[in-house]
Amino acid sequence: MKTLTLSLILLAPVALRAAEAAEAEHAGMTPDQLQFFEKNIRPVLVESCYKCHSAESSKVKGGLTLDTKQATLLGGESGHPGVTPGNIAQSSVYEAMTWKNEDMQMPPKQKLPDDVIANFKKWIEMGAPDPRENQVVNASGGKRVIDMEAGRKHWAFQKPVKQEPPAVKTAGWAKTEIDQFVLAGIEANGLRPVRDADRPTLIRRIAFDLTGLPPTPDEVKAFVADQSPEAVKRVIDMYLDSERYGEHWARHWLDVARYAESSGKEVNVLYPHAWRYRDYVIESFKKDKPYDQFLKEQIAGDLLKFDGKRDQANKIVATGFLAIGSKGHNNRDRRQFSMDVVDEQIDAVSQSMLGLTLACARCHDHKFDPVTQRDYYALAGIFLSSETLFGTYEQLQNNNPAGLIELDREAGQTAALAKISPSEVAELKGNYERAKTAAAEAQKEVFAMRQQDREKAGAASFLRIRGARDRAEEVKSDVDLFYEDGTPRTLAMGVLDRTSPSNSPILIRGDIKQPGDVVPRGLVEVLCAKGEPLNISPQSGSGRLDLAYWIASKDNPLTARVMANRVWLKLMGSGIVPTPDNFGAIGQKPSHPELLDYLAVTFMENGWSVKKLIREIMMSRAYQMGSGYDAANYAVDPDNKYHWRMNQRRLEAEAIRDAMLAVGGSLNFYPVDGSPVARAGEGRQGLISIFRGELSGKAYTYRSIYIPIIRDQIPEMLSVFDYPDASLVIGDRDTTNVPSQSLYLMNNPQAQSAADAFAVRIAKHPGNSAERLSYAYELAFGREPTTQEKAAISNFWMRFPQQIAKDRGTSKEAKAQAEFAALSAFCQSLIASAEFRYLN
Amino acid sequence: MNTTPFSRREFLKTGSNGFGYLAFAALAQQQALSANPQTATGPLAPKAAHFAPRAKHVIFLCMQGAPSHVDTFDYKPKLIADNGKGAPSAAGRYGTAKLMASPWKFNRQGKSGLYISELFPNLGKHADEMCILNSMSTDLPAHPQAFSQLHTGTTQFVRPSLGSWALYGLGTMNENLPGFITINPPGNATRTYGSAFLPAIYQGTKIGGNGLPGGGVGRRGGGMDQQATVANIKNSRYTTEAQRTQLDLVQALNKSRMQQDGGVSAEVEGVIESYELAFRMQAEVPKVMDLSKETAATKALYGIDEQETDAFGRQCLMARKFVEAGVRFIELTNGNWDQHFNLKASLERNTGAIDKPIAGLLTDLKQRGLLKDTLIIWGGEFGRTPHSQGEDGRDHNNKGFSMWMAGGGVKGGMNYGMTDDYGYEAVQNKMHIHDWHATVLALMGLDHERLTFRYAGRDFRLTDVYGTVAKEIMA
Repeated sequence: MKTLTLSLILLAPVALRAAEAAEAEHAGMTPDQLQFFEKNIRPVLVESCYKCHSAESSKVKGGLTLDTKQATLLGGESGHPGVTPGNIAQSSVYEAMTWKNEDMQMPPKQKLPDDVIANFKKWIEMGAPDPRENQVVNASGGKRVIDMEAGRKHWAFQKPVKQEPPAVKTAGWAKTEIDQFVLAGIEANGLRPVRDADRPTLIRRIAFDLTGLPPTPDEVKAFVADQSPEAVKRVIDMYLDSERYGEHWARHWLDVARYAESSGKEVNVLYPHAWRYRDYVIESFKKDKPYDQFLKEQIAGDLLKFDGKRDQANKIVATGFLAIGSKGHNNRDRRQFSMDVVDEQIDAVSQSMLGLTLACARCHDHKFDPVTQRDYYALAGIFLSSETLFGTYEQLQNNNPAGLIELDREAGQTAALAKISPSEVAELKGNYERAKTAAAEAQKEVFAMRQQDREKAGAASFLRIRGARDRAEEVKSDVDLFYEDGTPRTLAMGVLDRTSPSNSPILIRGDIKQPGDVVPRGLVEVLCAKGEPLNISPQSGSGRLDLAYWIASKDNPLTARVMANRVWLKLMGSGIVPTPDNFGAIGQKPSHPELLDYLAVTFMENGWSVKKLIREIMMSRAYQMGSGYDAANYAVDPDNKYHWRMNQRRLEAEAIRDAMLAVGGSLNFYPVDGSPVARAGEGRQGLISIFRGELSGKAYTYRSIYIPIIRDQIPEMLSVFDYPDASLVIGDRDTTNVPSQSLYLMNNPQAQSAADAFAVRIAKHPGNSAERLSYAYELAFGREPTTQEKAAISNFWMRFPQQIAKDRGTSKEAKAQAEFAALSAFCQSLIASAEFRYLN
Repeated sequence: MNTTPFSRREFLKTGSNGFGYLAFAALAQQQALSANPQTATGPLAPKAAHFAPRAKHVIFLCMQGAPSHVDTFDYKPKLIADNGKGAPSAAGRYGTAKLMASPWKFNRQGKSGLYISELFPNLGKHADEMCILNSMSTDLPAHPQAFSQLHTGTTQFVRPSLGSWALYGLGTMNENLPGFITINPPGNATRTYGSAFLPAIYQGTKIGGNGLPGGGVGRRGGGMDQQATVANIKNSRYTTEAQRTQLDLVQALNKSRMQQDGGVSAEVEGVIESYELAFRMQAEVPKVMDLSKETAATKALYGIDEQETDAFGRQCLMARKFVEAGVRFIELTNGNWDQHFNLKASLERNTGAIDKPIAGLLTDLKQRGLLKDTLIIWGGEFGRTPHSQGEDGRDHNNKGFSMWMAGGGVKGGMNYGMTDDYGYEAVQNKMHIHDWHATVLALMGLDHERLTFRYAGRDFRLTDVYGTVAKEIMA
């Protein structure tokens, strides 16, 4: 395996070296070393430090405790290691003792004698031997011991086995093997399948399910006319091959990848490079990248073999999955921040790919699943050994910036920004130098103030320095976007291995101030066969590659099942396992376990092809059934658990919005390169655009997947129709029916202008009014109006134009206006009606 | 209580010349026949409490930024006596700081003789209605985290807010209005009224409020945008009559859809219902929000049209109107309580803006007989240090601070719990935010241990695994 050489990390990230250090010294000490510690070090710590820095102190200061070896190495809230064996420069405890740093002088009242300080230097240089091991005997507190053998018996932890489809009584109904599984369930529960969907209903269903868009009137006509037995397959293939398929199915994955372009949480810093990951996902679905490969790339794309620079860059972009999660950038405790990032990564990987809530084992053994806290910290070590590069700049409320990954110039990656001239680059750099100078001067002036004056000025002085530095950082964020010649750099969020991997200590109760045993990096025990090696070999670097191969493996009992269930859920309206993100002990059990296994195994046999899986489900009669009500069936199975009919499904917010634009002919299929977020500016400017709603309030006309997704600032149209919380893994969206949706469709200017565009299109359509009405119906619903509907519409036309004409006068122009207004109101009614946003 | 021009009942009649009547007659029949009880009740329908509720409504007056307890509701004679002395070790990292007596006098108020700062001359008159909670604590002294915990119980995760839990537990009493309304919430704090994993119908409906980034540092607060209302509540194009005609068409199409689906569809039925509620809200919401019909005396009571108190006075009056209209949970936010410096002028400005409006609200609710059913809560995310920061400020203090409640079944004229001699830490009858949540729910008739929602395979509650109800404060 080749190692990547990635030249440039923009900002020195906050390293988490403490944990590495904690691992470094496991070897025994010599008696001399022990004696040295007991004689020269321990008494000083007890005398001069423990008062404020031990677990027993009434108030632990700076988050630093010095009464165990692990905690001493780890350090305090600053994020700097307390002691790094053999490295004086990386030992903040030593630095504090020397009183060289004005802001950190310990002990505060009286500097220690020089010979004591010299002893500490000597001690650190000899490797900081320390017998005060913090032993954690049982991380679960001894209350519960997890029996792995028993745990492995959970249905989802056993490998799926392909079973023969069951025999069924009703002859001729089942078209595919899937149907046999479904029909057996239907029969066993005394139900009867309803009749098949009619052709217009079916193509509308297929079109929305594959592309997120309504079928065009021509597509409907061709399908209805096509009497060949191949018609359904043909139309499915047509949509599977369309550009729109990738965009639609990528969005499903982005829901579980908690995709967004800002940090969310308290400060909500923009992530201007997140869109690369979004585009990577679209491309992957479009090309039907094998799902196992897709997962491997997202966990360890930077470590995989690659074919040329473009392929390498794409794989690095894939690791953006690990970097785009929500983060509390204002956290002052950098170590806490790092552990929170790791926790978020474990949560996202485990829920999205394995359907497990492994992050529950952060503070204690998992309450329900056979997952230990040891498992959690074995995984944590893998992520701690990797560097998460999410960008952003240091600002008043952002204490936790990181670097980004610069993609090779020759890798043929899209740029979100236009080229600027070299002289503009020079100007930016000049601005940066000036801003830096200004910041340095502000600091100098404040520091030169007499202490009394400084105190008097209080926060004002602090803000003055901070403000000047923020301005400098903000200009720097612009400088960093370009090469000398003004070509924009192609930067990506993602993950790279650290130079030296490290293991994580178990944190007792998840508390970074209470490190316990160091756990070797490894995998989740219950998902490995008994006796199989769990640990990452020292030659494996961080271990992400091992993790990737382990998850994306045919031997992993969860991976294929979880994805097969996700695809089934999207196409059928409910999962075989109704809790798609939790296959653990308290997730719900599968309604059709054999079918789930059949789908999972077939999925793997077909080279993890998502398209083939989709096609297979769509070709089933179960998928092609009608969604009509049936009293007898309903009485037995109101939730349609056994699929006696197709579920009536609410379209997702994006599909409703895209369809609103599509029927008016105003949907733009060519979004700008990148994302508006990439152009909003980092630092303060970016924050301001978020809070002025500049990014989320605009009436964009391109497909919803390309609209900027700012956490907690989701555009109104999307949020009103249950867009998921972009900070959480959401495999199954809510679908609500609330008045705010009705108000939006009736009264919002964007809804009204969509109706206007639709009306213009109808008005231009050749033919008489009956033909125009048909056209409107074909566009909106893919069918002809019924007699009853025609009557309701004519009733509307008899009343509405008069009602709005009252105060408009009788001029020809006024009449024409009133007529158009009525046409628009009619078109809006179609958009507002239930059928527009439901699939039958 | 249907006074809207187009109530559902009237729509059934007016619709009879088109499709409406038949549609709804058939629909009503199907509803009656439907085997699924969900369709008959709906998620917002009133639900039985776990035990007899003391309060039917809550008005939460949320003071964002953390008001200083030692200058408002926590009287500390020793702090006055030791003014200027070094802070005790409890001050932690502020070891060298100096204690600062409140610049304001505390007076005994009402028959009960509660100590209340002179900053609240009007509210002080209601001392006998107030139960002052002096022993509050929260996990972290950081604004966003504590603000989140105040609303959702957690500093870290996205969880449903207090109002959403209340609505989920009890439903609402007016079909023409949302059951949880939040007025002027800070920007970037959707978590404070979000429903998280609870169905979206339980989330708060936001009125006004476009704060600045950072949750705790918004510099705007207080005032409410005159334009602010429920999103998309007004149709700019058509008269009500014309819109009703349009809606009749929409509903006829919905009805037709449902017939084609075999006559029963909970989904389409939901759409039909939500259009009718939305249509009714268009009439009801602006009416409730219209303060012009209130008498001059009422307005004066709330300090409306006085520069200092106008903004918050309007919000308080609106809260009363929402209570009258049957809304379950109303939250008002007032910002800028983060007095690290300039305490004297700034805190006085804050209290000046809310003292009269809140006193007016209590008076008004009482005279209308609504106070006994309405729980008023006042408080912020934490308190402030008894020692000074700079010469005229106080820093964050999360281990001891004060809130108060009134009305809705709490004992008046009472102090509950206390902090140490200076006000650093709660030392008696400690009330963590979890306990406070448990108590608020209990006052509404909900058992915080039974009010659960199954999400991702586990039963969640507002109080997680914590929470003790303070029974002593219940009347």
